[in-house]
Amino acid sequence: MLPTLNVTGSMLLVERISTRTGKLRPGDVVIFRSPEAPRKIVCKRLIGLEGDQITYVVDPQSGDRCETIVVPKGHVWVEGDYIYNTKDSRNFGALPYGLLEGRAFWTLLPRKDFGPLTPKPE
Amino acid sequence: MGEWSSRVIPIVRGLCLLYVTHKYLGTTVVTYGPSMLPTLGITGNVLLMERISTRTGKLRPGDVVFFRSPENPRRVVCKRLVGMEGDQVTYVVDPKNSDKCNTIVVQKGHVWVEGDNIYNTKDSRNFGAVPYGLVEGKAFWTLLPRKDFGSLAPKPK
Repeated sequence: MLPTLNVTGSMLLVERISTRTGKLRPGDVVIFRSPEAPRKIVCKRLIGLEGDQITYVVDPQSGDRCETIVVPKGHVWVEGDYIYNTKDSRNFGALPYGLLEGRAFWTLLPRKDFGPLTPKPE
Repeated sequence: MGEWSSRVIPIVRGLCLLYVTHKYLGTTVVTYGPSMLPTLGITGNVLLMERISTRTGKLRPGDVVFFRSPENPRRVVCKRLVGMEGDQVTYVVDPKNSDKCNTIVVQKGHVWVEGDNIYNTKDSRNFGAVPYGLVEGKAFWTLLPRKDFGSLAPKPK
């Protein structure tokens, strides 16, 4: 999740109300239970909600080939900000909404990043 | 003030205990629908669900489990666990139309669930293997109807 989050670790404040009321928006940084390792919590950025059309680069390290999909019902599409080194919906597919745990809205540590999280870098 | 709080505090304590039990130990669940016939009835059963087996990973094929639907996150669905991750599952693709079978290996971190009434159920045959993180708990006891009181039946042959 570079450059938004630190490699050595960031401490974030996460709220669970947005996930329960369904008020998540593309661009939010969310945490969710990994579909491949159920004891692991993963942090990525929400890119698309159900019904959205997503265009993504399949393998940024080997070419510019893009693919477009529609996010299925009850699922969301998540991507890491650092697309060259991330395992996200490009690898494990759209994420069922029930796996979402919360939305990160404030950075506590490191001190230089204290404040709200930045939007997705262009 | 002291009198009032001495009555409220036990209530608050009781509610906290109830909440912790509901969230981490187990709770009662009302089921409805035909997808688990003959094990569960159409008009509804009241089951006891426990969450400890899911947390410790002690689920076994043949357990009746509850999970959040991958298609509708506000709905909790009840089906039977048929395969854990790595298991090879053979299933009838469309029982009403033909006998064609399909065999798949359940992917890592997922489970395969099927309804007991394969002619009228939406399960892993429709929405694929369910991520383990969506599993909420395991049903282990039937409270209602009275004739079914007791532990749940194993999968009918």
